[in-house]
Amino acid sequence: MSNVDVIGLFKQAALEVHGRELGTLDAATEISTLGLDSVAVMEMTGCLEEKLQIRIPDEELAEVETLGQLDTLIRRVIAGKEAP
Amino acid sequence: MAALDHPNLIAALDAGRSSTHQGFTFVVGEGEEELLSWDRLRAEAMNRAAHLRALGLRTGDRLAIVMPDGRDFVPTFLGATWAGIIPVPLPPPLSLGKLDSYLGSLAAVMNKAEPAYLATTAKIEDVLGSAASRVPSLQGIVTAEDLRAEAPAAASREPVDPHADDIAFLQFTSGSTATPRGVEVTHGSLRANAWAIMRDGLQADSATDSGVSWLPLYHDMGLIGFVLSPVFHKVGVTFIPALSFVRNATIWLDTLHRTRGTISFAPNFAYALAARRARPEQVAKWDLSRVRVLGCGAEPINPGTLRGFAEKFSACGLRPEALVPSYGLAEATLAVSFDALDEPLSTDVIDRDAYERGKRAVSVPRAGLEVNDAVEFVSCGRAFPDHEVGTFDTAGSRLSDRHVGELWVRGPSVARGYYKDPEASQETFGGGWLRTGDLGYLVDGRIHVTGRSKDLIIVNGRNYDPQCIEWLADDAPGVRAGSTAAFSVPGTAGEELVVIVESRTARPEALQETIKQRVNEQLQLVVSEVVIAPPGSLPKTSSGKVQRAKARQQYLDSMGSLLPAE
Repeated sequence: MSNVDVIGLFKQAALEVHGRELGTLDAATEISTLGLDSVAVMEMTGCLEEKLQIRIPDEELAEVETLGQLDTLIRRVIAGKEAP
Repeated sequence: MAALDHPNLIAALDAGRSSTHQGFTFVVGEGEEELLSWDRLRAEAMNRAAHLRALGLRTGDRLAIVMPDGRDFVPTFLGATWAGIIPVPLPPPLSLGKLDSYLGSLAAVMNKAEPAYLATTAKIEDVLGSAASRVPSLQGIVTAEDLRAEAPAAASREPVDPHADDIAFLQFTSGSTATPRGVEVTHGSLRANAWAIMRDGLQADSATDSGVSWLPLYHDMGLIGFVLSPVFHKVGVTFIPALSFVRNATIWLDTLHRTRGTISFAPNFAYALAARRARPEQVAKWDLSRVRVLGCGAEPINPGTLRGFAEKFSACGLRPEALVPSYGLAEATLAVSFDALDEPLSTDVIDRDAYERGKRAVSVPRAGLEVNDAVEFVSCGRAFPDHEVGTFDTAGSRLSDRHVGELWVRGPSVARGYYKDPEASQETFGGGWLRTGDLGYLVDGRIHVTGRSKDLIIVNGRNYDPQCIEWLADDAPGVRAGSTAAFSVPGTAGEELVVIVESRTARPEALQETIKQRVNEQLQLVVSEVVIAPPGSLPKTSSGKVQRAKARQQYLDSMGSLLPAE
């Protein structure tokens, strides 16, 4: 799972959940600049969690502002899950 | 257990003693849940009351509560009430995005309420630190983990005996930093409203009914509708975390199916979300035939959304009459009216021109909707017994049926006022009526809400102060200062946000984009349209203040003129 493409999955979630094409994104992209409301972002988060079979703790999600931070957090959650 | 007319919430909670089989069930994790029986709830509330007293909190002190998890929130809220401490429920950090604006508004609201303590969880305590440090009244932070432990034996567990006019809790209605307003819900208004909701509105029976709620508990509909009123009437409720619902809306209907729930409520947006997300195999599996009431309130109701929902889930045995539009507002504690149970969605189709230009609701055939000559509003039913709703013009004269005016409410559910805000209290609560700021008309007592006359934008069930949006737009380069208007208009599925700014900019597209970005970044709201108007085109008062409602009406009128001519 270490090669998971969070940005790619995020774009896919936007397409699946909202039918939105997000264009070019990178680790520095701030999620709040994408024209998505807070419910839409949480729906997409749910979609990502379902695909990756993880649950991101709410309080850690609240501190995420960029896609890079989301990527780091998701990798940490996956690593935590895979650890014995 | 029969529903008794307890004198107040504390007596209602106390009456749950030795009732160990029914109560509140909290979904805490994947497939995990915990029942807090009425007896256990009472015991936990007493323990928390003792904890809070041991911290030095006294009757009348405020306790800010930021707890996302109902399992912690509910006994903490009730424990504070038990000790006569005034709970102030506040939203937790909700989602990805800008934490700064959340912390700013949290600090502003706390500085209005002046709480002596903040109750939160160990996990989010750090996140809230910077907001807490800006609130001089705070003596400390207490965590859910501390409150779960056994309280010091020396601290009193005795309940207070409140008067009907004492404040039970403060309900802050909008996430605004500009003018945070806390509604003073009294023990008397709470009891009156809980009674009206459960007996008159829902005709609830504690032996056969059970609720399901994902609604946030810092919000009046989730807190009063699904925590406090059920404590009065001892109707069991299953709680789903709000964030689990927005991640995956199907958990709501799945829980109704699984627990054989009979009552649930949600704002309009949730009905659109659940219908969109339900997968065919889920629809095939769910049995929703036991559902008696699916209430809709807290934001403007789109009849098409409710009809679409009823149609989609009729395959699950959902009866169309289960969908019940309601009207209410925090200033009336929670609810004012429910549409009649056991009647399908009732709507009124009226002539667009007479409505927009003459403020009259003239009934016309449905066919008018096809050519946009008509508008449709849902009936939210009649005011509860002992309550009254009237429509009034701007001069304060009462209007007759089918004339659109401001809805005014009176009756025992009306709250006492706004906390530490005598001016706003007088404006809204003075003169024997609660001036709701909502526009609507009556037909034989049935309430039809058509819009808002002032200062409130509701999107996705959350309230936003238009002022905050206007300030963000004001700061954009090229915008004429103090010449912006933000308001919402009915969209295809729910409310849509429109911002009008005055500017002579040579690059209107760039300015539109800047404003959309700013609002989205700061408030996580999507602006549907930014209108760039030449300076001097927004309607203003003689003192130069933008007339928001008038600007909105002009916008709607001009939309109409853009439609193809007959």
